[in-house]
Amino acid sequence: MQKLYLQEIWFNIFGIWTLNKKVSNDFYTSSIQPYSGIIIKICRAYTDTQEDFEDYYQEVCLQIWKSRNNFKRQSAWSTWVYRISLNVSMTLLKKRKNNQQYSASNLLAEEVSEESRAFADESLNQLYYGIRQLSEVDRAVILLYLEEKSYQEIADIIGTNPNNIGVRIKRIKERLKKILDGKVN
Amino acid sequence: MEKSIETIWKEGFLDTESLIAPKVNNLYDKKSLHIMAKFKKMFLNNIRGIIIVSSLLFMGAYFAGALLAGSIVLIMMLYIAYTAYNELKNLEKIDKGQSSYLFLKSFKVWIDQSIERYGKMYRIVYPILILTFYFGIWFSDSLIDVRQKVSAHSDLFFGLHLGTTIFVLTFALLMSIFSKSIHRKDVKTMYGGILNKLNSSIAEMEDLRD
Repeated sequence: MQKLYLQEIWFNIFGIWTLNKKVSNDFYTSSIQPYSGIIIKICRAYTDTQEDFEDYYQEVCLQIWKSRNNFKRQSAWSTWVYRISLNVSMTLLKKRKNNQQYSASNLLAEEVSEESRAFADESLNQLYYGIRQLSEVDRAVILLYLEEKSYQEIADIIGTNPNNIGVRIKRIKERLKKILDGKVN
Repeated sequence: MEKSIETIWKEGFLDTESLIAPKVNNLYDKKSLHIMAKFKKMFLNNIRGIIIVSSLLFMGAYFAGALLAGSIVLIMMLYIAYTAYNELKNLEKIDKGQSSYLFLKSFKVWIDQSIERYGKMYRIVYPILILTFYFGIWFSDSLIDVRQKVSAHSDLFFGLHLGTTIFVLTFALLMSIFSKSIHRKDVKTMYGGILNKLNSSIAEMEDLRD
């Protein structure tokens, strides 16, 4: 009798664990994977290396999963994914920054090589290099602009005034051009 | 002709390989690397540590015959644990799905309030703990012999050794004065980088809101 009772407890614990694992995998497939492009584009702008990128990608997915019950359907699911991706990327601690064994020169050499491996298209790699030179907020603004979001949508996601977005985008584009020209020359 | 950034973006992502996602399995099991998760872990460890240490101290005080001192220490430690629990609950309320400005702002407000509340709490808790330990240990049953030896060599003031008491009182006073800035410095040492990043992002967003 006692053995049966213990088996039942074990099954319940193990069963709930298995069920939660299945639910999280199903959630990833149905609600995150179709929007993985958004997450990839954002995480690439906030990371220099493949290792950091994978950490950021996983963390964003984890936070979407953990915050799923906070989604109030006041905005589109994709808008919400943009918000979580940006918010998490802006506040995530990079493991590598604390790692003292990397000298500045090693880090730079590795960053460049990782950058060149991120995308097959070299122009896109260069554009991302330029985006990564911008401030965290400017990165968010230009990413949303490149994703063809309206000024109002950009303002809603970032939480700013839509009237200032146009001017800011113009300035960011000028800055990006200078960075890219400097890199090419 | 030079391509615009819009064209580079569109053409670059036409290649489907650019958007291959890293493999992610079992989100349910994954541990978070996020700064909020680190704060959460820190508070949880604090609560667990406080409960274990305060229980052990209380038992130690009981066996040493300093039950009153042990009780005061236990109440103080539980007060710290309760504060940490409240901070944890407030942290969990921050929604990562709100706009970036509101998210960063509410996180910053939480950090500032937490530093403020902890600082104020330590201002009272540190001196009380120091004095309770001192009086508790000094007047405990296990130190009867020591008290007798000290009284044989020097005059006691209300049953206490004057020099040691002045030293302990000064130490407790200094801890009360500097505890808030010590705590603030501790947090800045650990999370200074991200706090600066938060401040500059919030300032930039506020500039865009005006």
